[in-house]
Amino acid sequence: MKKIKFRADITAVTVVVFIVCIVLVSVMLMQFRTVEQTDITEIENMRESELRTALAEWKSKTDDLSKQLEDANEKIDEYNKTITDKKEASNLVDDELKESNILLGKTDVYGEGVVVNLADGEIAIEAYDLIDLVNELRYAGAEAISINDIRILPMTDIVDLGDYTYISINSQRTQGPYVVKAIGNKEQLSSALNMKGSGFIDRITSNKKVASTEMENKIELPKYNQELEIKYMQSVDRK
Amino acid sequence: MNKKQISITLGIMCLILTLAICVQIRTMNSANSTVSQTLSDNGLRDEVLRIKEKYDNTYRELENAQKKLEEARQSATQNDKNAEAKEQELKENNMLLGKTDVTGDGVEVVLQDATNVETSLNLSEQLIHYSDIQLVVNELKNAGAEAIEVNEQRIVGTSSITCEGNIIKVNGEKIGNPFIIKAIGSPNLLYGALTRVGSILDIVKDYGNKAEIRKVDNIVIKKYSGVLESEYLKEQK
Repeated sequence: MKKIKFRADITAVTVVVFIVCIVLVSVMLMQFRTVEQTDITEIENMRESELRTALAEWKSKTDDLSKQLEDANEKIDEYNKTITDKKEASNLVDDELKESNILLGKTDVYGEGVVVNLADGEIAIEAYDLIDLVNELRYAGAEAISINDIRILPMTDIVDLGDYTYISINSQRTQGPYVVKAIGNKEQLSSALNMKGSGFIDRITSNKKVASTEMENKIELPKYNQELEIKYMQSVDRK
Repeated sequence: MNKKQISITLGIMCLILTLAICVQIRTMNSANSTVSQTLSDNGLRDEVLRIKEKYDNTYRELENAQKKLEEARQSATQNDKNAEAKEQELKENNMLLGKTDVTGDGVEVVLQDATNVETSLNLSEQLIHYSDIQLVVNELKNAGAEAIEVNEQRIVGTSSITCEGNIIKVNGEKIGNPFIIKAIGSPNLLYGALTRVGSILDIVKDYGNKAEIRKVDNIVIKKYSGVLESEYLKEQK
């Protein structure tokens, strides 16, 4: 009798322990899961400062787009009006064409900006110095640039010719000293170039070349003086 | 099997499980605390997501509007020879400015940081620098490229290729290794210019980095995603 009771006890204990084990294991598994999930969200998490910059960037990009959208819609309305009123659309195209010619560099333009003077020092100015300068000016918001009165277009190349005495820009030969003119916010352009240490002017002068900048209220740039032809690219049909 | 042995085994197992759970709860708690810290950022995160969505929507709307504008322009200028010519010029201007998607034959250049870093050499030379990309783009322009993009960023009249810390930016957008530069133009001219002895690709390879170029037909280069407008330019009368 005593033996039997003990037997029952042992079965009961085993069952209880077994159940406890199962419960414990499943709790552990659940925990593992939660931990894994929080790890994933952790990766998605950005720090507050990162979030703020991201937010600002996307906001300004969206604003830019909205502006373009408004502009496009306005123009659509205007064109549709000329169709319903049976008026000539020529003027309207003229306006758009004029704007794009200005942006592209097909017209003489003027405006405020900076003039950068570059000259050989102990070391001669190379094409890369000019590439670097054009790049810096564009980064600082320049809207139109010329070097020695050669207008710089989106696809303009600047390369050394021979032994660095000449530089070719748009396949036109030119030589130093180089007068680089850029139209844009003059303070912004000037302060970007004159940044202490890492700015363009300091970099050039520490490389034993001569450079200086001046802000001006009216800079005149000549138009691009060659034909612009398209031989290889086609517009992608957007229908 | 005796009772003692079973009890001890079970006891040890329980102990281990309990300990494991304790450790887990601890980890959870520390993870939770960082989560609750960032909980205050949740509002911000939502806002970022919302603005991104708005951006995408506006982008789609803009694409539609531009398509419609082209159609409206075309139908408005249909019966007017003079206006038609202007419409054509405007279209070409927009291609040159980078305001439309374009397609054509050309080349694809791939620049990649050295994978087997030689510690005996200068480490910083075994990376692609922003100046390498600038020079490749310049050489492509020199060989007559009509449209260029760097990691899907169209090169336009206001494009800059810069370096901030260790990050290269094109048009103000971060781009990463490998750098894929596509150009539309004469495939032979572009390929020839970039494979000549002493070209920038040669120099990049000399430093142990990877530089490849191949001719590709029917490359598609997307339009510039930013705004092209002038605030300071006035036309000289």
